[in-house]
Amino acid sequence: MKSFRYSSQDWFGKVGAGCVLGFLLSLAIGGLVARYGMGGVGRFAVEHQFAMWLASPLLVAVLSTCFLFRSSLQAWLWLGAANIVAWVLLLLV
Amino acid sequence: MRSDIIKMYKDVHTWTGIVSGLFLFIAFYAGAITMFKGPLQEWSSPPPSLGEVTSLDRSPELVERVLAEYPDARGGYEIILDNSARYPARMTWELPSPDAHDHDLPEFMHANLAADGSLVVGSSGVSPVGQLVDDLHRQVGLLLPHGIAMPIMGVVALLYGVALVSGVIVLLPTLVSDLFAFRLGKNLKRMWLDFHNLLGIFSLPFHLIMALTSVVFAFHDQIYGAQELLVFNGNNAFIERQRGVPSEVADAQERLAPAAIVARLKEQQPDFVPRRMIYNGAGQPGPALVVFGDNPRYGMRSPDGGVVGLDPYSGEILMTDYMPGMQSAVGASITSFFTLHFGSYGGSPVRWTYFLLGLGGAVLFYTGNLLWLETRRKKLKKSLPGKVEQSRASKLLGALTVGVTLGCVAGISASIASAKLIPGLESLSDHGHEFIYYLVFFTSLLWAFLRGVARAAVELLYAAAVACALLPTASLLSLAIPGWGWNHPGYTLVVDLVAMAGAALLVLAARRTARRIHRAPIDSIWYSATCAAILPGPASASVPLHGNRA
Repeated sequence: MKSFRYSSQDWFGKVGAGCVLGFLLSLAIGGLVARYGMGGVGRFAVEHQFAMWLASPLLVAVLSTCFLFRSSLQAWLWLGAANIVAWVLLLLV
Repeated sequence: MRSDIIKMYKDVHTWTGIVSGLFLFIAFYAGAITMFKGPLQEWSSPPPSLGEVTSLDRSPELVERVLAEYPDARGGYEIILDNSARYPARMTWELPSPDAHDHDLPEFMHANLAADGSLVVGSSGVSPVGQLVDDLHRQVGLLLPHGIAMPIMGVVALLYGVALVSGVIVLLPTLVSDLFAFRLGKNLKRMWLDFHNLLGIFSLPFHLIMALTSVVFAFHDQIYGAQELLVFNGNNAFIERQRGVPSEVADAQERLAPAAIVARLKEQQPDFVPRRMIYNGAGQPGPALVVFGDNPRYGMRSPDGGVVGLDPYSGEILMTDYMPGMQSAVGASITSFFTLHFGSYGGSPVRWTYFLLGLGGAVLFYTGNLLWLETRRKKLKKSLPGKVEQSRASKLLGALTVGVTLGCVAGISASIASAKLIPGLESLSDHGHEFIYYLVFFTSLLWAFLRGVARAAVELLYAAAVACALLPTASLLSLAIPGWGWNHPGYTLVVDLVAMAGAALLVLAARRTARRIHRAPIDSIWYSATCAAILPGPASASVPLHGNRA
């Protein structure tokens, strides 16, 4: 079997997953940091602002690395799984 | 690193760069200029006609008179401690504008007391051109409604962030060997690439800050909204934190006079230099009195400095969330994001550094586009050796690059200069400065498409130099013709000097570009049949001319 080689061919699906699931993931991580890192936040208090700011580096990080998934499908699956873990921790625990 | 990953990220870098590059050029060029928005507003505004600034000791009388005669001020007003073109009088208040969008700048009224005790009230007369440059910066050159322009800016910022990461990944394998390499020579693509890499890698922290903060500036409303909807509910609901509360006061107790507040603040924070005191009316959110000011030892939240909340009765410090040197760790972290974007720390040296870094950023995006064009040429040469015609895409991007960048440079200069050159421009039209900017911008763009990249580049560089030179020309005319224009004493002279230096640099660039064209190979984007025919250089002497306009 020919070894796998990366290419920019599949960019649309990967970037789509990065935008949608990356944004949701950054929200969940911001919420987790607010809850476990800062013990809850007051509305528009600096801690709340910090949780909002996290979205930017997290989203750029996901969008920059989403090309490293081997296919669009894998991007959606992996980022989807990460979202499930993060949102379960945030909402159900 | 695997070569296929490098190749993939090269594609990512190319496309994110091409799509965002020209927006970013405008954002960085205009942003560099906004580092000196204050001096620029001073330069472009006529001397204020509100009389002498009322002494701080008489400000209680001023406030009393204004509140009695102007009900609009009862909702809140400001006492200005450090006057400028934007705040030319001691007291300022906002005119209500019920239809205005959140982000529209409100209109302000300004008031002083005349010597005989009568009120002098009026608008500041500050030229809107300083704000125009700021708007061009924040909305990446698109003076569309805020709600449309900001999401576009946000997408550009995201592309920019990805372009930075992918650019570094592409550079990584050769980073050590190429870092200090700057190969001037025959291989122009190599030279531009070295220059692009050098500029990019050494200003990377600056660029990362700009990309990440701009994403938040564009999308904070959306992120807050989505968080509120999805995150801060149930177990994660917002909590109430105890804040400082104003001291209990009997109704009869008087507020401290502004001068006394300043003195109390100085006792508590001697390094803090207050600039503006904002009194919020009853029923407004936030502390009843907040003071904007500078403490050069710390980073500050906004270009207008840091903010402290005070008890208006005792002058005690109540709110320190945005107060330089008194913030919590989280608060100071957030302030650092703003500070690093605005360059609101360290005073003048940092301002000048940001000015140069901003211009450097603009050059980075310009060279990025040039690299794309040169690469296209090489690829074309390889695949079709006999073909000298530029591809359509190259022509399009070449003309766009030259037209947008030089149109922006010339447009901003022309618009600023018109504040002094065309007296009463603002009374003719609310959008006079925008009109001049876009007139120059779109004329340049059209010119670039009509004349072809090579000739347009030279001509537009000269045009931009002329536009820059209009600034000192306007000042000289004001000096020479009595009763026309104005010149303020002091640092606004620096505006004229910088404009002169800019004009000189643009002339130099025009001359160099003209020379470059004479030597350009026929398949280059810089090749121009006419120029080559007039002034035969080594390349044009050996190739037949078939009316090819690069």
